[in-house]
Amino acid sequence: MRAIAGWLAAAVVLSAVAFFLSSYHNDVYRKLLLWVALALSYNFLFGISGQVAFSHFAFYGIGAYAVVIFLFQLGMPLPLAMLLAIAVCALIALAVAIPSTRLEGFYLALATLALAQLFIVVLNEGGTITGGTGGIVAYRLPAIFGVHISGPWYTAVIVMLVLATYAVLWRLDRSWFGRACRAVRDNPEAAAAMGVNVARTKVIAFTLTSVLAGIAGMVYAFVDNTVNPPIFGLENAFLLLFMVIIGGAGRHAGAVVGAVLLYLLPFVLSPLIGHHHALVFGVLMVAAILVQPRGLIGIYDALRHPRG
Amino acid sequence: MIRPTGIINFAVGEWGMVGAFGGFLLLSKFEWPYPVGMVAILAFMLIVGWATERVAVRPLVEKGAPLLAPILALLGMLVVFRESISLAFGPDPHQVPEPLGFEHQKTWMIAVTLGVFAAAWLFFEKTLWGKSFEAVSLNRKAAALVGINLSRVTAVSFAGGAGVAGLAGLLIAPNTSAHYLMGVPLAIQGFTALVIGGVGRVEGALLGGLLVAFAEQLTVRYAPIPSGYAQGVPLLVLMLFLLVRPSGLLRARA
Repeated sequence: MRAIAGWLAAAVVLSAVAFFLSSYHNDVYRKLLLWVALALSYNFLFGISGQVAFSHFAFYGIGAYAVVIFLFQLGMPLPLAMLLAIAVCALIALAVAIPSTRLEGFYLALATLALAQLFIVVLNEGGTITGGTGGIVAYRLPAIFGVHISGPWYTAVIVMLVLATYAVLWRLDRSWFGRACRAVRDNPEAAAAMGVNVARTKVIAFTLTSVLAGIAGMVYAFVDNTVNPPIFGLENAFLLLFMVIIGGAGRHAGAVVGAVLLYLLPFVLSPLIGHHHALVFGVLMVAAILVQPRGLIGIYDALRHPRG
Repeated sequence: MIRPTGIINFAVGEWGMVGAFGGFLLLSKFEWPYPVGMVAILAFMLIVGWATERVAVRPLVEKGAPLLAPILALLGMLVVFRESISLAFGPDPHQVPEPLGFEHQKTWMIAVTLGVFAAAWLFFEKTLWGKSFEAVSLNRKAAALVGINLSRVTAVSFAGGAGVAGLAGLLIAPNTSAHYLMGVPLAIQGFTALVIGGVGRVEGALLGGLLVAFAEQLTVRYAPIPSGYAQGVPLLVLMLFLLVRPSGLLRARA
């Protein structure tokens, strides 16, 4: 009961913020929330399951494009389009994950990198279906039960998405499945010896987190009401990885801290160094791996529980 | 681009980019004679590779960090390289001259590639140093036991890899012009060639490179698909190979 009250309070507070923000700051806030949702699910894939995949951001794009194409190019109703978009994400994720389980760290990274690049090529060359390099523009969220959700109310929808993502991952992490994922990450042989189906655990973790990314993408599609290839490029896939590593891989709080910090940092830095904040990210990333592999959240832990 | 260290280097494309920008700086701007510029770039790239290893790889290996850690650190270095270059040269593409004029550029590229291939093959197959690289790639512990200096092998392989990558960047720069975003596509092409040919074999890299180039050109010319999709063909081939035959066409000798 208390847990439910806590979730509700979080939902109300996080949504209420949106009603006090100007429309520009609302936009910033929405994208921040979406990055948090992505970082949370990527953290489960990379930090907890130990799979280095660059396809996570591509699935975000697949979700966004799929729902827009089903809705406006094929004229489907919203619930059907959403279900089909989720199905598309799940099918592509399964098609990649099942053969990929035979691949170790680096090869998985390459295969998913190729997938992400391939996705961009398909977007650029998709003709009228994907809108080519210009993408698809000038659509709007259809009415749900006769209501057009917009402004801060749509931000509330995104808050729901973040909390739902967190709730699912939190439950999973605490279940036998989360422990199985950690076991497979740390020592696949030992996990297999303990009766964990290594291949199946990897496939489920990959598919599930990819679908979560796809759902976040579906929600994103109606933030800017435009989808185009540059948004879903490789840059952001790297950024996502940096967020999770700098924040602290394997910890939900780390993912949130990393996402918030790296999303807001450019706003602080751009008056100082213009568009070269990526250089700062790169340096932070290398520093994090060299000095503090557990990320910012590791520093926080060390301060809270000093050794000796 | 051969890694006997087991550490696959995402920064390799950025090395190519640094080489290309070196070409722009020395050859276009300062107008050094081509051979001098080329040797200077090669020497500089050796230092860059060695420094990369020192900064991003050796501390982690010494700490006994998991194998993934240096790979991720190199990914961070990729961004550092790229942004430093864009900070120094700006985001616009730069021209790099051809040594023998436009019509001989292809011949020149083939000649240098064959030269590098021959040198690498001789090094890996015929010298004791090359043998020690192969030993390290097969079994690090056993190699260390017979007295091979692991960290020196790693350092040399990074320096050599950067040297070759820098030359490659210099070679293709006249065709593509030097641009700060050129690194990642370059790296993906290289990895594709490597995976198709077989990791850890010198002939494999050459064979893979040729196959990728042919596959791309043939689809542009003959396949009934728009030419833009042809960029996707090597990626598709890469994925298929990874999924079906990750060891590549030529297997590493046991």
